Amino acid sequence: MALLSSEPGIAERSSRYGGVLNLFVPVERAWHFRDLIRAILTRELASRFRGSMFGWMWAVAAPLVLMTGYTIVFSGIITVAHVGAHTTFGTRALLIFSGITIFSLVSELLYRGPVLLHEHASFIKKSIFPTETLAWIAVLRGLVYALISMAVLLLFELALTWQIPWTTLLVPLVILPLLAFLLGVTWFLMALGAFTRDIAHLMTTIVPLMMWMTPIFYGFSDIPERIRPWMRLNIIGDYVDMFRDLVIVGSIPSLTLYGACCAFSVATFALGYVFFIRYKSIIVDVI
Amino acid sequence: MSSEIVIECTKVGKAFQLYVRREDRLWQVAFGFLRRFYREHWVLHDISFSVRKGECLGIIGRNGAGKTTLLQVLCGITKPTHGTVRVKGRVAPILALGAGFDPELSGAENVLIGGAILGLKRRQIDARLNLIREFADIGEYFNQPIKLYSSGMIARLAFAICAHVDADILVIDEAISVGDQAFQAKCEAFIQNFAKRGTLLIVSHALEYLEQVCDRVLWIEAGYVRECGVPSSVLENYSREMTLTPVHDGEAGKIRRMA
Repeated sequence: MALLSSEPGIAERSSRYGGVLNLFVPVERAWHFRDLIRAILTRELASRFRGSMFGWMWAVAAPLVLMTGYTIVFSGIITVAHVGAHTTFGTRALLIFSGITIFSLVSELLYRGPVLLHEHASFIKKSIFPTETLAWIAVLRGLVYALISMAVLLLFELALTWQIPWTTLLVPLVILPLLAFLLGVTWFLMALGAFTRDIAHLMTTIVPLMMWMTPIFYGFSDIPERIRPWMRLNIIGDYVDMFRDLVIVGSIPSLTLYGACCAFSVATFALGYVFFIRYKSIIVDVI
Repeated sequence: MSSEIVIECTKVGKAFQLYVRREDRLWQVAFGFLRRFYREHWVLHDISFSVRKGECLGIIGRNGAGKTTLLQVLCGITKPTHGTVRVKGRVAPILALGAGFDPELSGAENVLIGGAILGLKRRQIDARLNLIREFADIGEYFNQPIKLYSSGMIARLAFAICAHVDADILVIDEAISVGDQAFQAKCEAFIQNFAKRGTLLIVSHALEYLEQVCDRVLWIEAGYVRECGVPSSVLENYSREMTLTPVHDGEAGKIRRMA
């Protein structure tokens, strides 16, 4: 095995653990490369709106317009949609928008994951680039937009209902395992996507379907009792549900559900990393 | 030159996976544990050599002989299929200058990212940004997107970065010939200065230059070490063979014959 010369300590340690599930190795490596992650993340965020007159205003405008639209449509025009039992003025729009906030974060990574390595092919082939950091960068970038979206959500919540439940403070506890889950999924998709472009096409095909399978425009309570436990298997839906409980309903989600989601997410994180590392050395040759 | 060995290659071999059909890659990922869906294409065979600290090793060989792959293996960009590579210290690869740049970003931004990739901390890069700007000497272009650069300017920037990362080992792949005379002189001065303390690996077709700079020359032929030793004798044998048999049965030879 080649020892990576530029980072001897880190390379040695991670190779010692080999394929063993060790949660600290990926975190430690990400920390080691924090300056690289920050450099690429800032330039990705900065360049997204470069060349446009309003720059970062666009990042805020998109969720703002969407939220306004939902408020108008779902509190006046359409009265068919029920999102759970909470159907007071405006809350329906808030519930839908909160679902969209979480799902956009997930879908962005599902779309980008398979093409992530292709986007950075020149870095990978020509320099000693720690490819696994690309997943961290993508997830953190998605998180930045999700946070903007959440800020807009809270603003509207305050305007429509005059209050924000205290449980909103617990949101990081739900977001954190979600990010771990997304990192695992991104690593998995990155590795697969490097070998075949079909994964990217598969994602564009199934993500819209997933959106309707996830309780975004409806709530868990709208699902027939018979199939509700099956819908719980969709972890994205569970995260949407927990996020809604905390931010809008103001209740604490079931700890069993939370524990199960955490366990599943951490497992995805670890397995995704191991999968990626297994193919990492071949990836530079095939991309 | 000290007796400490900083690069040690032992029986290094590298095979690329060649896939006949595009979908075979997917099958390899999914069912690779059952059988192999690719053909192995060997580009390096049993390469063994070592480089001592402060030594300057030249690498020569025909196009397609495996020089760049060998450098990639040494830098840790790609893993050897078998054998071991031991490298001590920080390597700065100047491989195909500037190919790792993002064309949309400015020179300064690429310096930040390039430096971070080579393992510099943000503070260190900030502190050296001006030095790099001066060394590259591309004026106002430093803050313009790379896509507006000429190839010479890209080479200048890339060399400037690698010159300022405190590398212990500098890997130069046919790099110096890109810039104009003034910049070439600057690079050569830097290299000569660097050679006093650091280890150098240079791939080049400029044989006179290699004879002047290198302590040893490694000749690679079709993935094997053909000769390794004193520059004058290796280079003489190499140039004699090049004039005797200009067309070789390697990949490059085949292409040349078709043309």
